[in-house]
This record gives sequence, structure tokens and C-alpha cells, in this order.
Amino acid sequence: MAAPVRRTLLGVARGWRQFERLWAGNLGSRSLALAAAPSNKGSPWRLLGAMCLQRPPLVSKPLTPLQEEMEALLKQIEIEKSLYSDHELRGLEESQRLARKKADFYDEEDEEDILLAQDLEDMWEQTFLQFKPGARITEADNKNDRTSLHRKLDRNLILLVREKLGDQDIWMLPQAEWQPGETLRGTAERTLATLSENNIEAKFLGNAPCGHYKFKFPQALRTESNLGAKVFFFKALLLTGDFTQAGKKGHHVWVSKEELGDYLKPKYLAQVRRFLLSDGLSCL
Amino acid sequence: MASVTLGACARALRPPSGLLGNWQMQIRDSHQRASLLSFWKLIPMRAEPLRKKKKVDPKKEQAVKDRLKKRIRKLEKASQELIPIEDFITPVKFLDKARQRPQVELSFEESERRALLLKRWSLYKQREHEMERDTIRAMLEAQQEALQELQLESPVLYTEATKRDPSLFPFETKGPDYTPPVSNYQPPEGRYNDITKVYTQVSFKR
Repeated sequence: MAAPVRRTLLGVARGWRQFERLWAGNLGSRSLALAAAPSNKGSPWRLLGAMCLQRPPLVSKPLTPLQEEMEALLKQIEIEKSLYSDHELRGLEESQRLARKKADFYDEEDEEDILLAQDLEDMWEQTFLQFKPGARITEADNKNDRTSLHRKLDRNLILLVREKLGDQDIWMLPQAEWQPGETLRGTAERTLATLSENNIEAKFLGNAPCGHYKFKFPQALRTESNLGAKVFFFKALLLTGDFTQAGKKGHHVWVSKEELGDYLKPKYLAQVRRFLLSDGLSCL
Repeated sequence: MASVTLGACARALRPPSGLLGNWQMQIRDSHQRASLLSFWKLIPMRAEPLRKKKKVDPKKEQAVKDRLKKRIRKLEKASQELIPIEDFITPVKFLDKARQRPQVELSFEESERRALLLKRWSLYKQREHEMERDTIRAMLEAQQEALQELQLESPVLYTEATKRDPSLFPFETKGPDYTPPVSNYQPPEGRYNDITKVYTQVSFKR
């Protein structure tokens, strides 16, 4: 008897909470219908457009042990199932000729090649050793300099910005208030332009937001028409450009998904992580 | 027409002078003629008058040309060659027996190891696929919720958000390499001859 009663009570509580959410939403839509204007006068929620700017990875991820084993096996199978190439045939012929020379002890035709296949391979090896490729783990990684773009080259890096809201300094994705007459994506592009002073080029992925975050203002700031704000996130991929060093230091940071937890508030972080791909997968 | 012109040419070429010669001939054999002035025999009447060009001729010429064009078109259609796909044509030098490697005999342990590795790999790929699917589903849910919230806020912004973005596709981006690019790299200098075969298919469209 007690269990079903408890369940019904819980059900009632859940229903009440949903009703509250619906009621708040309906209030917004009803007042919009009354206002009948493109701007957001009726709704108590302010609109903010935010930008999730990601730097795609420059370098491939290191392979797991299983992947390395599989790679080795596939290479082996490929060699086993292939035919001899011209270079390999040449090498085989020359080794046969050398063996005959040693066995027979008489000079064969003088039209030997001066360069054997083996010599060619040695030369190629030498040129390869002289080439110094770029480092996969950069200095910025070693110093853990989070403001530089050159760290964690195998991950996505997301831009975070520190701003004042009320009396607090909060880390968040760059955002700006929506102004009537522009789309929300336009707001996000405006954020990018003002933040980077037009140095950064980014490709926005579509007109639709990828996530949202809703929060209410603290009791002191709440008014009848100003209940809280909704932030809509738009994804963008960084093409070129970076922040100039002369800009404000300590106010922006490029961070991978695991390090987001160091900066963002829990609820905000939970909503942001929903639209970011986890680390086991490629960039998106 | 041709015979008339031929005749005229022959008469012009005959020595000595033509007309005078004719007169002389007629005076010579005037005893054979009935009267001195048998008109039609005096004047050479073996020539034909020049035919006038009839108006039907341009049409006939046009018809002849069309027939010729039709024949050309049929020939061209028949001989349209397809561009050969180089990948499907095995070059003859690869059919040489000397190129084949000796058959590798795998030991029992090796074949076992390979089989077990392939099984582990298939399991890993299955899990990776499921993870990807779940992540994409979660991302889509987040997007749908955001769009619902936006619709509650303002239908105008919602309609603008759900519009297609024509500048998004075609989308090209360079994927990750094994090492990052070196900033002051000097590539080695040299020329190369590009010997790729470029086929053009000629299509006759009139």
C-alpha cells in the first residue's frame, strides 16, 4: 500500500514540475501572440547567441595497442598477397648475379650497373634521416600554455572566454545579446568579429543552434519581464587566424573537452558536453 | 551541257579560223544544197542554248547536303569510343610468372594469432560504431531541444534557424596528418614530367 502511494506522489511531483515548465513556456508564447511583433518583447527570457569555436586537430591520434597489432597484420597480408615490384625484381637479380660471381670466380659482362638496388635503398634511407618532421607534442604542451593554439594537436580545442556577470568572473563560451533584426547565427558571428577584431576566420556549421542553456537571474535582478536568459550555441570550425597577443591576456583559453571541467560551472558544462563529441572519436 | 561545251571547245581549237572556214565549206558545197539561202544549214545549229538555272535547284542541293550530313552522323554515332578505365586493364607485364612470390606457409600459431586478432578487432569496431551512433543521437537530441526552446521563444527566429544554409556545402577541409607542418620547410627543387594520359571523348552535337 505504501509503495504505490509513494509512486503516485512522485508522479504528481514530476507532473507538477513539468506543468510549471509548460506554464512558463506557454506564458512566453501567449504573450508573443498578444504582442504579434518580430521582437521578443513579450517573453521574459532574454536571448543570447553564443559561439562554440573549435580548432580541428592537425595531427592524427596515437594508435591503441590493438590498432597497432592490426596495422602490422594488414601490412603483412598486403605484402604476402602482392606481386614483386620492379625494384624488388632488380634487387633479386642483382643478388643472384653476385652469388654467381662469388661461386664462379670469373668476370661476367662488363655492363654491370654501378648502382645496385641496395645502394639506392641506402641513399633513400639517408635522405629520410636528414629530414626533421614537426613535433607531435609541442612546447606549448610541455609548458601547459593554454592560451596557445599549438597544443594538443590531436584534439579539438574549444575557445573559452572569461567575462563579468554581475559581480562574478565566469568562464563561458563567447556570447552576445541578440538584437532585433538579426538572426541568432548573426549574433554568434558578431561575437566572433568583436572578440577577434576580425582576425579570425571561421566556418559556421549551419543555421540551427546545436545546444542551449537556460538560466534564471538571481532573485535580486528578476523583474516581471526579465526572468532569465536562454543561450543558444552555434558551432564553428576555425579556418585561419588567432588572437593577437596585444589583446587581453588571461581572458581567453583554448581547451580540450576533458579540461572543460576546470573552467565551466557544472550545469553549464553538462549542457555544453552534450553537443561535443567525446574523445574516442574524430573531430566534429 | 557538257557535250555542247565540248563541241564549242573543239570547234574553237580546229585550225584555221572557225567561222571563215565554215563559210568556205558552205561555198564549196553550195552545189549540193537546194537553195543558196537554206538558212538552217548555213548557221551552225548544233549548239544548245545555255540552260537557265531553275529555282528548284537550291532545294535539291540542300536535300543532297542533308543526306550527306545524315550519313556522316550515322558514322560518327557508330564510332563513338568509350574512355578506357585504366584500373580494369591489367598491364601485360604483371602477368609474368617470375613476379609471383613464393607461397607463404603459415604456422599453426601464426594462423591462430591472426584469427584471434581479427575477432578482437571486429568486437572493437562494433563497440566503436555503437559509441558513435549514441553520440550522434545525443547531439541530435540536444539540437532538437534547443530548436524547441527557440520556437517557444520566437517563431520567426525558429523559421530562420531551420532554413537551409546554401553556403555550407560543398564543404572542404584538410584532415589531420601524422606530423604537423614545419614552418620554414624548403621543399627540394626539381622538375617532373607529368605522363598521365588524358582522354577526351569527342561528341558531335549539331
